[in-house]
Amino acid sequence: MAFQKNMRVLIVDDTSTSRMLIRDALEQLGMTQIASANDGEEALKAMVASPSHLVISDLNMPKLDGLGLLKAIRAHPPTKKTPFIILTGKSDRAVIEHAAKLGVNNYITKPFTLASLKTGIEAVVGKLQ
Amino acid sequence: MTLTTAAPATRRITIIQGEYRVSDDPNVYFTTILGSCVAACIRDPEARVGGLNHFLLPGDANRAAGKDAERYGVYLMELLINGIMQKGGKRSRLEAKLFGGARTMMGLSDIGAMNQAFAEEFLRNEGIRIVGGDLGGDRGRRIEYWPVTGRARQVLFSSHAKVETAPPPPPSMGDVDLF
Repeated sequence: MAFQKNMRVLIVDDTSTSRMLIRDALEQLGMTQIASANDGEEALKAMVASPSHLVISDLNMPKLDGLGLLKAIRAHPPTKKTPFIILTGKSDRAVIEHAAKLGVNNYITKPFTLASLKTGIEAVVGKLQ
Repeated sequence: MTLTTAAPATRRITIIQGEYRVSDDPNVYFTTILGSCVAACIRDPEARVGGLNHFLLPGDANRAAGKDAERYGVYLMELLINGIMQKGGKRSRLEAKLFGGARTMMGLSDIGAMNQAFAEEFLRNEGIRIVGGDLGGDRGRRIEYWPVTGRARQVLFSSHAKVETAPPPPPSMGDVDLF
């Protein structure tokens, strides 16, 4: 999928300060259509109602965690190919392997920098401006 | 024959800058030494689990570097909160005590105030109640925190470091128990 400025991005993180920081970074990278969700359950509802073109999700969240969300998105035909990036402080090898088996597109570790976020997204959606 | 049961030994765990720890063991307490750094002591009183982190955000007027620092601070806060949740804590029940953020070096930018402001704003954004602690001033401190009961104890150091030509007098410390 090639990057387009009006690409809809969904941020999923249970820490509101994190959501604000990720949104701020995405805006700096030229993205304009940014939605956010507090947890996997809220994100799944949003994806079913109006699918985003890219999901950037935390792992540890109440109700439905990042891996649960990934699994549900892959099981839902309209969203099964939606690029999904995990952005987390957890860099456990077993978790990364599990995410890979579920079909994650990329894995970015926190604390991220603007550069690491850009590289991580570009690897999935192509060159940003 | 007499049977005696020994009281469980208290275990002290020292936390250094950039670290965090979580415990639900009533015999554990955390300790850390703070200057301009800030320690957030967060716990769920109902699940009786808590932890402490120790962070220093580097002061930088440059916006990009400032954001990097903020992301680092948020990361350390998230690790602590996630650690508490993994041991049965619930985000909506969390309460916090903040310590540190002193201005220990006069004449330089007030990094302590920046750390303090970051921690307070983070907790406000996340809806985590601040129930105690001690921030600011110009003295370093040693903190002890019992994660299960939430008891905190602070020892303020006498003053910021000075070059001494004679043996310094014994430090006067202000021990304060903060519950």
